[in-house]
Amino acid sequence: MNDKCFEIGAMQAFLDGETSPDLSFRITGHVAVCEKCAVALADAEEESSIVFSALDREFNSLVPTQRLWGSITEAIANDKDQISFWDRVHGGLSALFNNPSLAVAASVLVVIGIVAGIWSLNPTSTNNVDGSLAVNTKSSQSQNSSRTESVPVMVTGGQDMLSPVESPLKVTESNHSPAKLQKMVANANLRSIDERPQAQYLDMKTPVARPVVEENLPGEESYVRTIADLKQNVDGQKDMTLNPSSRIAYERDMAVVDDAITKMKDVVRKNPKNQSAKQVLYSSYQNKIDLLNSVVEREELIVSLR
Amino acid sequence: MSRNGLQVNKFAIALCLAALIAVDANAQSPAPKLPKKAQTRVEAPSPPSSKDFPEPAMIGRGVSEKALAVDANVNIKLPCISQAKVSINGWERNEIRVFIKNGSKIGFRVHEKDPVNGKPVWVLITSLADDKAKSPISECLSGERIEIDVPMKASLTITGRETETRIDSVKKVSLKNLGGNVALRNISGGIMAATFEGDVAVENSGGQISLETSTGNIIAYEVSPGQIGDTFKAKTNNGAITLQKVDHRQIEANSVSGSVIFNGKFLPGGLYNFKTSNGSIKLAIPSDSSCRLIASYGFGTFNSAFPLKISMENVSQGGKSLVADMGAGDATVNVTTSSGSIAIGKQP
Repeated sequence: MNDKCFEIGAMQAFLDGETSPDLSFRITGHVAVCEKCAVALADAEEESSIVFSALDREFNSLVPTQRLWGSITEAIANDKDQISFWDRVHGGLSALFNNPSLAVAASVLVVIGIVAGIWSLNPTSTNNVDGSLAVNTKSSQSQNSSRTESVPVMVTGGQDMLSPVESPLKVTESNHSPAKLQKMVANANLRSIDERPQAQYLDMKTPVARPVVEENLPGEESYVRTIADLKQNVDGQKDMTLNPSSRIAYERDMAVVDDAITKMKDVVRKNPKNQSAKQVLYSSYQNKIDLLNSVVEREELIVSLR
Repeated sequence: MSRNGLQVNKFAIALCLAALIAVDANAQSPAPKLPKKAQTRVEAPSPPSSKDFPEPAMIGRGVSEKALAVDANVNIKLPCISQAKVSINGWERNEIRVFIKNGSKIGFRVHEKDPVNGKPVWVLITSLADDKAKSPISECLSGERIEIDVPMKASLTITGRETETRIDSVKKVSLKNLGGNVALRNISGGIMAATFEGDVAVENSGGQISLETSTGNIIAYEVSPGQIGDTFKAKTNNGAITLQKVDHRQIEANSVSGSVIFNGKFLPGGLYNFKTSNGSIKLAIPSDSSCRLIASYGFGTFNSAFPLKISMENVSQGGKSLVADMGAGDATVNVTTSSGSIAIGKQP
């Protein structure tokens, strides 16, 4: 083996599908040129297949390693979440009073806080104006002028502060007859407060990203829909259904088919009248469906044999 | 001779006779029970339950064998084989014989009998009820080696997990495996074989044929249709398909990342579809072949050893295609690949 050869542990992780995509590509790239590593990988794969076949029943009932780690970390996170607020406060306070200097500093802060609270209760310093706006108009204007454009527009009751103040529906002058006006009001599409636009951060520098809608060819949509449905099923169960060697083969075949689809799509977009390219594209879609279907059928067979 | 001497002689004769009678009587008394001989034939067992069949005779440690007389056209189902090397052979006798080495006990279940001769026409071969409790996989046969002899006109339906299966000289086979190679010979009435991980090989067989594997090669040699309209299909995701002397008029061979090799002749009126995404397609055909060739090869290449009458050709990158005739154009041959090569050569 040369210096670039991977450890057997890394190869085993690769066979188990636990390596990152980047590392997987590096391993496959290296194995393609290094005969010794290729032999080592083949041996490891063979050993895995022997072990997997011998322990098939156990593996079917146990959770795979990666999933197990996922559930363990999730359980730990849940335990952390379940610690109550008062337990955390109690822990913090006990840690605080264990250190005398911190205790003194904290007591000073408490005194300052009480003084500030009393000061803030003084009516002359309040900024509230009959509860309708969160901030004083003048101060908010001055603040707005000093802030950047990404400051949110503060709105009370879902109303934009910069828009004209909404008055009760009252018509003072109109060319329409009262009956027609009444009808217009009745048919008007009045949006509820919840449906009105909410305050958003204004960011004029970055344009709003809009999803690119790809137009499908005639007949392509049914393929895409079928593939999406199948993929949803397969992605959830392929870890359990496929053993390492099958998984590698499946991912490789899927990559081949996806590559063919991407290439042929480009060709068809450039020349929609190219029937030959369309035929190859549809054939590639069918291959993808067959690939996904094979995993589903495999799962069904496993279930039927239990 | 004196009177006493005569009496002694009479007594001796009587004693001998008594001894002979005793020996004869002893000979007629029940002999010590020998181990039960394996039952090799059960004539038309009436209620179809496993109780009707005796316990399998244990010839050696972990070896069991059982037999059942059946109709010649029996339909045999093995609903589950968990792990074994399975060998099934057709024979002239109207009888099923099952032999398992180091494995589960054998149970027959008769689902249907022939109304005329009363012999079973639909039989399930499973593990015995005693084994079901021990095994989480109910009804699954398992063992180091499973050998089954069936009538030559029998139809088989087999489902398995990890089995190396060899079937020879039966009428029809339907097989589905999770893994393991499949080899089929002399199957006259059609084949449906699917395995998810392993090779499939078919030889000297006929009828409607469908061969499928996810990861493995497919080989078909000397295969012919049983009747008009029978099709031949071969599909693998990751392996090569090799067809030699396949005489079906409708052939479909599809491999995602493997190659497709056809060595045979295109019959008049036939429809042949060969597809691959990334592999090569090689057709070896006779010089006097007559077909219309429709090739779509995207980013791939096309080569032909035959002179072609090209009626349409597109050489734009990604959308390469060709429509050409060989001879009178009696058969239709569709060849499709995304980025592989297509080669048409002459048979040696």
